[in-house]
Amino acid sequence: MILEPILPTVLSVRRLRNADPALVVAYGGDPASHTSLGLVTCDQDDALYVALDEATKHSPVDVIFARSFYAGAAHASGRLSGEILGVLAAAEPDAIEAGLEALLRCLAHDACFYDADGKRTVTVFPHVISSLGEYLAREAGLAVGTPMAYLVAPPLEATIALDAALKAAEVRAVRLTPPPTQTNFACAWLTGTLDACEAAAVAYAAAVVEVAGTPRG
Amino acid sequence: MSRTRQLIAALRDELGSGDPLPPAPPLPPIPAPPARVYTPRPEPSAFAAQAARHTTALVGIGHVGTRYATDVVLQFQAELAVAHAAVGAELPEGWAEQQGFIGVRSRVTSHREFLLRPDLGRRLDEDSLAVVRSRARKPVDVQLVVADGLSAVACLQTGKLLHDLVARECAARGLSVGTPIAARFARVWLEDEIGQETQAKVAMILLGERPGLGTGDGLSAYVVYDPRIGKTDGDRNMISNIHPRGIPPDEAAARLAALAAAMIEQRVSGVTLDLGRLGEVTGGRGYRAPQVRQKLVGERGERGERGER
Repeated sequence: MILEPILPTVLSVRRLRNADPALVVAYGGDPASHTSLGLVTCDQDDALYVALDEATKHSPVDVIFARSFYAGAAHASGRLSGEILGVLAAAEPDAIEAGLEALLRCLAHDACFYDADGKRTVTVFPHVISSLGEYLAREAGLAVGTPMAYLVAPPLEATIALDAALKAAEVRAVRLTPPPTQTNFACAWLTGTLDACEAAAVAYAAAVVEVAGTPRG
Repeated sequence: MSRTRQLIAALRDELGSGDPLPPAPPLPPIPAPPARVYTPRPEPSAFAAQAARHTTALVGIGHVGTRYATDVVLQFQAELAVAHAAVGAELPEGWAEQQGFIGVRSRVTSHREFLLRPDLGRRLDEDSLAVVRSRARKPVDVQLVVADGLSAVACLQTGKLLHDLVARECAARGLSVGTPIAARFARVWLEDEIGQETQAKVAMILLGERPGLGTGDGLSAYVVYDPRIGKTDGDRNMISNIHPRGIPPDEAAARLAALAAAMIEQRVSGVTLDLGRLGEVTGGRGYRAPQVRQKLVGERGERGERGER
């Protein structure tokens, strides 16, 4: 079915209540303030990036590590690998718990890819973040609380759709990642007012659906 | 439903997709951020729980994540406010005379100066010195001075009571007690000058102590043998926390009288005084009843009741 949500599958959720400092350093954390870790793997990398950001809004956690795996979930290194590993870090196990709760809620009810051709062979991620958390705000170089459209689609679809999105509303490109990303998609982060971000995301999704339906049009 | 899901569902309807979407899974209840209630965890150690009941110190107060619980923070702020109010209070003019004391004051002229200049609070001003010289009985065994110190609240509440109790205990031990004196803007060392003028063997100042959290009403008593200007804190013995939740005034009075008698007998005070010879009266290390922290901030229900009062 066209534009049906494709829910992300959480493949593993584990905690390290008192991680070894060497490990924390290797994964980009600060052993002085990061003692507890929460580790999540998921089969949709972009949904998890959004969910990690959501966690920073609900709990005093930092996202110290989040990396996509090459070629995506279909070519994962193992049953539990999916296409991303995200690591939350905090001074307290309780903070990790609260962060994971928000993260899993976001994955279950908010961030997800959508089916663009009715056969799930073309997918699109036209996500609107109404208020950026600390993690994506830092990654995007924007202020915490700014609206942002997080747009992902396969290479050609993404190119056509990005053009449509930029023309659909008063949005500004924050970061454009041409194909291939690590998972062989293309990604765009746009910012503007919340209304503009929403209009851009809808135009993006509509364009991907249109290209998926008429690839030689 | 999330905003993005709504937008894409609307787009889907617009594109004319006929078949309905499967129903979304039900959302769990999401409490608004400050409304989240953390139930306190039971203290796993019975010893720690018991120990926490025997002190008003801030131990065993729990935590919420990395922070204090809201009721603990509110209680802390309320207790700090009590302490601030006690430091800011002043002994009213004429209070000493109403209570039957000779009123004297230090060289301090204002409350602010009192807080900033401890040195001025340790000496009598000219008028007061003349009053002490002309009206106070001398020589005496024990000269008592009631003073505001850093908590006029404590002095107003129990200063007179403690003075009378100590005077009675001293008289019972056969010690002559000097004319009652009350001092404004006084620091501890003021007792040296007053004791020197009244030729007292022992000077004792009962004054409001620096308020701690939740104790704005505590009195301290400092006792010195052979009071002279220039005596140091090493020459003094003291009893602190004289208030209903600490040492009750009657118990403190008995200890202070015993202390004064021991000083006169041993002719010393301070670190050289042999407290071992005082025996049980100065309070050993025996059983101490559990202290109950006075709740200044209540639960939601209690606050309503407080408001009606």
